[in-house]
Parts: sequence; C-alpha cells; structure tokens
Amino acid sequence: MRSPDRVGLWRVLVAKEMRELMASRSYWLLLLVVGALVGHAFMTATAAYAEASGAGGGASALSQGLNPLTGIVVPTLGAYDLAATLLFPFVVIRLVAAERETGALILMLQAPVRFRELMAAKGVALAIGWLVAGVPGLIALVWWSGMRGHVHAPELGAVVLGHLLRGVMTIGVASAAAALSASAASAAIVALTVTLGAWALDYAAAARGGALETIAQYTPEAALRQFEQGELRASTVLVMLLLGIGGLAIAAQWLRVGRQRVERRWGVLVVVVIVAIASFASSRVHISYDLSEDRRNSFSRVDDAALGAIKSPLHITVYLAGEDPRLADLQRGVFAKLRRRLPEVEITYAAKGRSGLFERAGDHYGEVWYQLGERRAMSRSATEEIVLETVYQIAGVAAPTTRDDAAYPGYPLVATPQYVSVVFLVLWPLALAGCWWATRRRLIGAVV
Amino acid sequence: MTHNAPVPGGHALPVDHRAGGELLSARGLSRRFGHLWALRDATFTVRTGEILGLIGPNGSGKSTLFQCLAGTMPTNAGVVEQDGSALGAEDRKRVLYFMPDGIRPWPDQTVSWMLGFVRGLWGATADQYDEVMRSLGVERLRYSAMGSLSKGEHKRVLLAAALLTPQPILMLDEPFDGLDLRQTRETMEVLRRHAAKGRTLFLSIHQLGDAAKICDRFVMLSDGRVVGEGTLDELKTAAALASATPASLEEVFLALT
Repeated sequence: MRSPDRVGLWRVLVAKEMRELMASRSYWLLLLVVGALVGHAFMTATAAYAEASGAGGGASALSQGLNPLTGIVVPTLGAYDLAATLLFPFVVIRLVAAERETGALILMLQAPVRFRELMAAKGVALAIGWLVAGVPGLIALVWWSGMRGHVHAPELGAVVLGHLLRGVMTIGVASAAAALSASAASAAIVALTVTLGAWALDYAAAARGGALETIAQYTPEAALRQFEQGELRASTVLVMLLLGIGGLAIAAQWLRVGRQRVERRWGVLVVVVIVAIASFASSRVHISYDLSEDRRNSFSRVDDAALGAIKSPLHITVYLAGEDPRLADLQRGVFAKLRRRLPEVEITYAAKGRSGLFERAGDHYGEVWYQLGERRAMSRSATEEIVLETVYQIAGVAAPTTRDDAAYPGYPLVATPQYVSVVFLVLWPLALAGCWWATRRRLIGAVV
Repeated sequence: MTHNAPVPGGHALPVDHRAGGELLSARGLSRRFGHLWALRDATFTVRTGEILGLIGPNGSGKSTLFQCLAGTMPTNAGVVEQDGSALGAEDRKRVLYFMPDGIRPWPDQTVSWMLGFVRGLWGATADQYDEVMRSLGVERLRYSAMGSLSKGEHKRVLLAAALLTPQPILMLDEPFDGLDLRQTRETMEVLRRHAAKGRTLFLSIHQLGDAAKICDRFVMLSDGRVVGEGTLDELKTAAALASATPASLEEVFLALT
C-alpha cells in the first residue's frame, strides 16, 4: 500500500462530504425552496419598483428614491436570510450528526487525518453547497441586469458577501449544535433556540447601549443589515468568520469521543474563550467602507473632512425611548455615520421607559446631549445637518459652508420581467429534479 | 526482523515482525460507566501474525475493550504499549484498525463508493481492492446502497473495508455475525489467508465454536475482567482441567467464567 499525500487525502475527504451533501434530501429541498422564494421576491420587487417608477402611466416617485439596492437586490436576496435561518441549519445538522448516529464516526476517528481536518472538510463542502444555493439569486440579478436594470457592483458585492458570511455563521452554529446534542432532532431545537435568542437579543439591545448593544451588532440579522446597507465593516466580517469557524472547532472538540468527557469539555471551553477574545478584539477594528452608490452610510465629503479634525471621544446622551421613531432615525441616519467617522463615540440611552409615553417633564425626554471634553450642547433634532452643526459648535470646528456632493441620480425602471414564475417555479424545479436524478444515478449506480 | 510498517498519514512505527513476538500489550485497561465497571484492569498481549480471539459472555465488555484499545472510547485507567512505550490515541491509529459490529455507515452511498473511499483514504492498491472484493463476494453488491444491504451482505462489505486498511493489527468485532455457515467458512478462509501474509487479527467472537476453529490464542473476558489468556492448552491448564481430558473451548470457558 502507498500513502496518499495530504492533498490527495483532502480531496478524498471533501469529495466524500460533497457526496453526502448530494445524498441529503434536505439539501435538495433547500435548493427547491430557495428557488421559489427568490423567484417570488424578484417578481414582487420588480413589480413594486416599476410601479414606483411610474408604470401604467401613473406618477413616478422622486427618481432619487429609486435605488436598486433597496428596491431589488436586498428583497430578492432576502430569501437567503430566510433559508439560512430556517432551512440550511437542518442540512448542516444532517451532515454532522448522521455519522455519529450511523456509527461511521468510529471509522472516521481512525482515519489518517486529524479530526479537525475532517470537520474542516465538512465546512468546505457545506460552504460550496451554500454557494450553489446562490444560483437562483444569480439568475434573478442577471435577469435584472438584462432588463437594463442598474447594478452598482460594490454595493451588490457587499450584500452577496453578507449572505455568504451569514451561511458561514449558520454552518458554525448548526455544527456545534449537532455535535453537542444527543440527536439530530435535539440539534434542530438547539439551532432554532439560538435563532430565537438572537432575535430576542436584537430586540432587547435596542436603546440599551453598552456591551449588550455591541454584542447585538453581531447577531445574524443585525450583521446582515449592515451589508444590506452597502456597508462593509471589517469587525463584522471578522466576527462572522470567527463564529463560523469557532462552531466547527467546537464540533471538532466534542466529537472526538475517544477522549475523556472532561477533556472534551475543556477543549470546548478553550475554543469558546478564544473565539470570545478574538471577537472582542475584532470588534475594536474600526475599518469600514461605504460601498453604497448613494453614500447612505457616510456624511457628505466636506463634512467627513471637517469631522476628521475631531480627535477626542464624543459622548452622546439620548433621552429617547427605544420605540421612539426619532431614535431610529438618529441611530440610522446620524449615529452610525458618526461612529464610522469619529475615532470614538459613546452613546448613553437615558430614557427610563421603552415607549416614551409616560415620561415626565423633568425627565428631559426628547433631549440629545452631545459632549466633547468639557463642552456640551443639547439638540432635539434627528436631522443630520442640525446634529452636525451641534457637534461642530462644541468641537470649535468651522462648519462647511457648501455641500457639493452630486445628488444620487436614482434609477427608475418601468419594466416587468416576463415568465419569472415559469423560470423559478417550473424550470428551476425541473432542473433540480434532473440534477437529483443524475446524481442519484451516480450515487446509487446505473442499476437503479 | 524489524522494519517500518507502511502506515499512511504519518511516520511509520517500528514493528517487530518476528512471528510470535510481542506486537502490542494492554496493561490495566479499565472503563467505567457511572458506577458500573465495563472493563476492569484488563491486561494481555497481542503477538505478531497470530489470530487472537476475544471471547466472553454477552455484556462481558468485549466491544468496550476493542473501543478502548482503538482509542475511540476513553479509558479510566491503563495503557496500551508497544516496545515498552505507551501509545496515545493518535499513535494507535497507525498500529491498529477497529471495525465495530452493529454500525450502519453511509446508508445513502453505494458499496463501490464506500470501499473506494476506504481505499482512497488508506492508499490500497487496485490489486488489493480487486482481491478483497472477489474473495468476500461483494463484487455483485457494487452498485447497491449500503442502507439496502442484508445483515450478512453488510457484514461482508465492512469486512472488505477493514481488509483494505494497512495497520499491522486488525480488530474485528463479531466478524461472523449475520453470516450463514458457508459464508462463515469462506470468510474464515479469507481471514486466515490475510493473517498468513503477516497481519495480526484480533477477533471478538461470540460463537465459541467459530472462535475455536480460527483462533490461535484467546483472551477470555468475564464481567469486564480478563480471566484467561493463552492457547487452548494453556487455558485448560489455567482452568485446572486435566490435560488428558479432551476439553473443548466451551468447557474451558464455562470453567473460567
């Protein structure tokens, strides 16, 4: 016998995991459902976009408001968020848990590779599987482009990257759940519990500030929202990757059943601590790029230049409740941009209630205080220009007199794609059925 | 004669290939599940080129012993040694291979793929592959799904996979379980041929008649303890049965357990 080299072994392992993925009915179901969801979302989005662009002889909305990122790309690819939350975890769990349940794990534990390499091969196969699931989304976007719909490649790239990383996170979380749970059914419950927990964290962290708000930035939904706004934050990319790889590492530690349970527990704990520390360090990386064409995540260029002169930390105290729409406007329209531009922004949410309906006069409700060093100023406005004026005032920086950024032109398009439902609801399932049949022939052989 | 065993995935370990020389030893292997000791202070040796039988009543700890030896289950105490050096789980992967009983791996894949995968993993040659397929009669199952095989067919496919691995010691848990009389005899012949080529076989066998037919020596387990080790004659002596008496393995087994 001759020893296969490392590359050869890796090829054997990844090919094995790909075959297992192809043999999984849950994966084919995922592909089928994703096609239908993307098709429906694309139809709905293009119809709404055409309507807003003045289809049917109606009045067109302001052209500046017609943005393909918000109108087409995000809703069409939104199907993948749903798939990553409710379908993909089961595909991952099946691939990780099945070997333990059938006893194949004992054979794999004796394979001439390290166990972490086995898990890495599973991760690679699942990532390829997630990429393949992106085909319906690709078809929709090519279709949109073929209709002369506008596409801004950098912002599209950000959204696509967001969904890819969302898939990586799902691989990590579901792998860990599959490894730590006694059965696939339990793992599914754990994975869904994590999803519900992330939603709850998203809700609870709103208008809380501090560590809770920082952590909540990295829940799958919140992280994806950043990409959907065309923003590429290094910290978010790193944390999503860390969570994905960390989940696989946890699975690799726990499934090494030849080691004592206490030893495996310590292994898992070490991975958790390393991921936590690395994630914390990553969250301190303040590198971000606004890839949106309309610069929705940035102030005007002159304001960005003026704010560059401010080096000290900006403290903001907000007397607005979490459910107050003014707070949402401030967070999205001003605070997020300030955080991108200034070296340090610390926000304190000082309102007592959650709704803001029962605040008393002495509670300063509605006030937003800005402080740089010893200088403080208060503003009640959620408008970008007024907030900036307040910040310039306490910073002693001259406010720019003109903002000469070209206005976003907007890309209205009165066009409705024909036969979308035929492609996504008939041809896509037929293509899948053909592929399934072909792979079954290959998997089971010509005799079937 | 000592030379390096052809072991994929890492450096080869020195193996003593003198027939009958000590190849591996287990000292004080113990495994506890809660308050129950499944294995207690199990000590024995495995010799080069022999067919060693692990026999014992149901629940005596045979499968647990194999798993502990293979490093797929942790032990509470004890060591596995080669040439006086303790072997960790990773080292053991290079010295022995364990095929468990009762597993149903990769039910959606074909027999051909499963054996091809094992071959690709361990680097078996095409000749070895063909020989194993032919000798165990699994060629006609080539395109069948693993999950669709009968118990006997499944057992033969797993045996074929095990025979494609290169480790000096092969541990098979109940290799004849599910096989009919003819298949059992044919499989014994295949295993004997394999052992004659220098590979050491360690077989856990529930049927004492089968064990007596194929094994050179025995390790006898009862209630998690090794109650005897040796050839049939040595065991008879240990059981204090007069050597003039034509005692069978069953009688020795009953006397010792």
